[in-house]
Amino acid sequence: MKNLIKSTLTVLGVLVAFTSCNNSGNSGKKSGALASNVAEKVYVAPGEYDSHYAFLSGGYSGNVTVYGLPSGRMFKEIPVFSQFPTSGYGYSEETKPMLNTSHGFIPWGDAHHPDISQSKGELDGRWLFINENNTPRIARLSLTTFETEEIIEVPNSAGNHSSSFVTENTEYVVAGTRFSVPIPQRDMPIKDYKGNFKGALSFISVDPEEGHMDIKFQILMPGFNYDLSHPGRGKSHGWFFFTTYNTEEASTLLEVNASQNDKDFIAAINWKKIEEYVNNGGGTMMPANYAHNVYDEETHTATSTMKKEVRVVNPAEVPGAVYFIPTPKSPHGCDVDPSGEYIVGNGKLSANLTVHSFTKMLDAIENEKFAGEAYGIPILNFEDVLAGVVEQPGLGPLHTEFDGKGNAYTTFFISSEVVKWKLGTWEVVDRKPTYYSVGHLTIPGGNSGKPQGKYMFAMNKITKDRYLPTGPEMEHSAQLYDISGDKMELLLDFPTHGEPHYAAAMEAGIIKAQSQKIYKLADNKHPYAAKSDDDTKVVREGKEVHIYMTTIRSHFSPDNIEGVKVGDKVYFHVTNLEQDFDVPHGFAVIGQNNSELLVMPGQTKTSVWEPKQVGVWPFYCTDFCSALHQEMQGYIRVSAADSDTPIKWSLGEDIE
Amino acid sequence: MKPIQNLFLVFATMALLSACKDNNQSPSTTSTEVKTEATLQQTGQAFIEGDQSTTVLSIAMGSKDHTTLVAAVQAAQLENVLVNAGPLMVFAPTNEAFAALPEGTVENLLKPENKDALANILKYHVTPGNYSKDFLKKFKKLGQANNDYVKVEVVDGEPRIGGAKILGSVKAGNGIVHIIDKVLLPPTE
Amino acid sequence: MIIGALLLLGLFKFPLWNIMLGAPQYPDPLGMNIYIDGIQGVSEFDLQNIDGLNHYIGMKTIPKAHEMWEFSMFPKVIFGMAMLGVIIGLLGYFGKISYKYFLGWFLFMSVLGILGMYDFNNWLVDYGGNLDPHAIIKVTKPDGTPMSYKPPLIGFKKLLNFDVTSLPHAGGYLMFIGMSLTLVAFWLGRKTSLKKTT
Repeated sequence: MKNLIKSTLTVLGVLVAFTSCNNSGNSGKKSGALASNVAEKVYVAPGEYDSHYAFLSGGYSGNVTVYGLPSGRMFKEIPVFSQFPTSGYGYSEETKPMLNTSHGFIPWGDAHHPDISQSKGELDGRWLFINENNTPRIARLSLTTFETEEIIEVPNSAGNHSSSFVTENTEYVVAGTRFSVPIPQRDMPIKDYKGNFKGALSFISVDPEEGHMDIKFQILMPGFNYDLSHPGRGKSHGWFFFTTYNTEEASTLLEVNASQNDKDFIAAINWKKIEEYVNNGGGTMMPANYAHNVYDEETHTATSTMKKEVRVVNPAEVPGAVYFIPTPKSPHGCDVDPSGEYIVGNGKLSANLTVHSFTKMLDAIENEKFAGEAYGIPILNFEDVLAGVVEQPGLGPLHTEFDGKGNAYTTFFISSEVVKWKLGTWEVVDRKPTYYSVGHLTIPGGNSGKPQGKYMFAMNKITKDRYLPTGPEMEHSAQLYDISGDKMELLLDFPTHGEPHYAAAMEAGIIKAQSQKIYKLADNKHPYAAKSDDDTKVVREGKEVHIYMTTIRSHFSPDNIEGVKVGDKVYFHVTNLEQDFDVPHGFAVIGQNNSELLVMPGQTKTSVWEPKQVGVWPFYCTDFCSALHQEMQGYIRVSAADSDTPIKWSLGEDIE
Repeated sequence: MKPIQNLFLVFATMALLSACKDNNQSPSTTSTEVKTEATLQQTGQAFIEGDQSTTVLSIAMGSKDHTTLVAAVQAAQLENVLVNAGPLMVFAPTNEAFAALPEGTVENLLKPENKDALANILKYHVTPGNYSKDFLKKFKKLGQANNDYVKVEVVDGEPRIGGAKILGSVKAGNGIVHIIDKVLLPPTE
Repeated sequence: MIIGALLLLGLFKFPLWNIMLGAPQYPDPLGMNIYIDGIQGVSEFDLQNIDGLNHYIGMKTIPKAHEMWEFSMFPKVIFGMAMLGVIIGLLGYFGKISYKYFLGWFLFMSVLGILGMYDFNNWLVDYGGNLDPHAIIKVTKPDGTPMSYKPPLIGFKKLLNFDVTSLPHAGGYLMFIGMSLTLVAFWLGRKTSLKKTT
């Protein structure tokens, strides 16, 4: 009987295959994957709000994009590590210092892992941290203004990849180096890597009130590659875990040479112990040179300070602070479950998932059951620490997140899927394909002690046929799944901007309530602000001309300016007098060699213009601000370098 | 009875494939696959139409020397694995290599209840990576997709993978196919 | 009576009147609260934004407290009336004067109130109708006369794209309650005195 049914089904299956062959083999895909009632689950009616914010890393765009869930609508792109002509970030005089580094001004960055600040292990929605991989930096964004407020460069680091993850109370934001380098940097043969290069793990303290960052200490670890990290939480609060690969310490052809050891390590760091050691004067201050850039909301201006030293700690000198846990095959993701007990090491060349137990780790440490040591750091026995193995869930495991209900979700790059499995029993519960080649996945709050799981989204590296084709270059895709049931349900497929490397997400409530509407003009302390039409003026200081300008619907003041000469450096200091939500004004002048300015209500921004030709040149508002936006314009007269046209400015009257 | 039934299926599949000549990545079905969610199983990169880049799968499927391997891949539902961005290196035993196995082995593995064992063996032929025949000599072992290692030796200046000789190599968009003269069997515990 | 009169003092804390302006571009409506000693925005920058919008149609800016004599006069009058009410109440309570003074106070207050409303309406007419001839946007009624943007004294009115609602606010309600209480006091006083005579 059973066989009969099977045979019938077989015949049917073959028939299905035949018919699908006729209509290009595609019919099953669209209708099968998305049932009609699914549409209702992601439909957010016009004027309604999404239930969650999602902050997606822009990857090589250097920025962060803000999305709503479940609709998948993009709300904003926040410039962080890259110049952004849309708003003038990195072009305006006020924001250029944000992109200053020890290597000079850098107009671009590779943003990777956003993480939302936490209090008592829960997301508090105050700040978003994100790392820059290429020229190692950590940025802090305000989730009140949705602007980048601070960027700190990380010295002694290279490929700032195992970053930027926060501890349970945002005591630290942590940044680990993917590439080990000579510390301090020096001229030496590359082949002498082994034993001479070091990997710096930086613990950056975060001021609990203002959020200001300061490198408290760097642990100088053996010269492995520190790939990803996560903080302990709950019972393991006070520890931090880093995956490593290339424990072979190869400097060339890593795809062969860094895959020779059957196991690499997860480095377990007792940061509380090192903090105590440092507070008691431990470690040494070493000369360094790194930029600390802070944006002041009152002056609307960033300042860049070069710091000249950093405290480093040799882990071998702090007994009991650092251990190595052997983990199979070049582990990539290093994820800690909400209870803090399980540490998941995703060996990217492994077909299995390895889960370590924090309790077992403590036991092994207490009983001093060590398998050996590396550079003075004790190595634990794999079997002593192992909690369990998820057997062959897929190919190429990368990252794991948690729903807070005892389930874990792991992405598999090579087999292009998300696999749901149970903590403790290690059984695979469900698997769903992703489209295609998934990297990270995000569950709102999945990185904290209290996940807010209802949704999970997977961020993919390859898009192929998911959307209408746009030539060889496509935006990456993300898929949203409902994880409230036993099985994951694919809800939505939406394009993302840049490379959606990783994302942080949380319920909308806290952030929505605190989101700022305007900057108060009364609080504006910009040195070149004109807070009313009476303050407007044009001042010549040698070759520099400063124009104190205001905007209000629908005019610039002044809007007629004379006395500027070829060869001058003209500073347009534009203050937006509006105090009304969502009424920015733009500023653009012909031949501007940088970008426009987009000035928020109550804000002052400055654009430098260096006129090269004699003439009368217009400037105008770029943001359609009002019914009379097209009237919002002005002229600036540029005279010959040797002319004696006097400085004059006016609004509403003819000059002279 | 069963082997015959399955054989029939393999033939049916082959017929299907030739019926869709213009699109050799179109869906195909075997008895292990026919469930109610059969259509769902045919999504993923393996089934993108009009994707002109070659994959290790399309190369294997296009070769008349690898019909047994392709049938096995389909039986084990590994199509999508073989078209992923990879890079992937597939050691593709020829039909002759499969025929050299003890009689009944292939038929037995193609049985639905042996799907996992079959998948395990097939994954033992897949390496995440993309290395030329010459380059393979640098390795002492390769970590395979089933989580086992396969030994690499150099005999007479040529790499031997788990004792198998590389007969030829074909580059693919997402990796490389090395044609080998022997089926690789994972170490038994 | 005393309570009623004291309730008038609530006007120093709470606004007398409130005008709200809603439009598609202002999902959170703009609003002004009219106090006896000046006008304030419901949200911090509402007045500035109302003025910003009004300049398109040539309306004058919303008067500051020192620009209208009413705003210096009203507090004195209200305070005086409240004190007078308290004195009348006390005297009435101790039986020094007749309850009829209560009614007198009420009538006097009503007259002042009506005068106040009349004055307020006059200002609204001027504010809404006395427009700058160089206004950017000029709208005329079908009969050719310039459109008036006078907000309603009480109730709801549509002015161009704005929905305008004008209603008494907390202070105003307190005043009405206070005035009603004096009526109650009058009625109670009358009842007691009627009882005495029978």
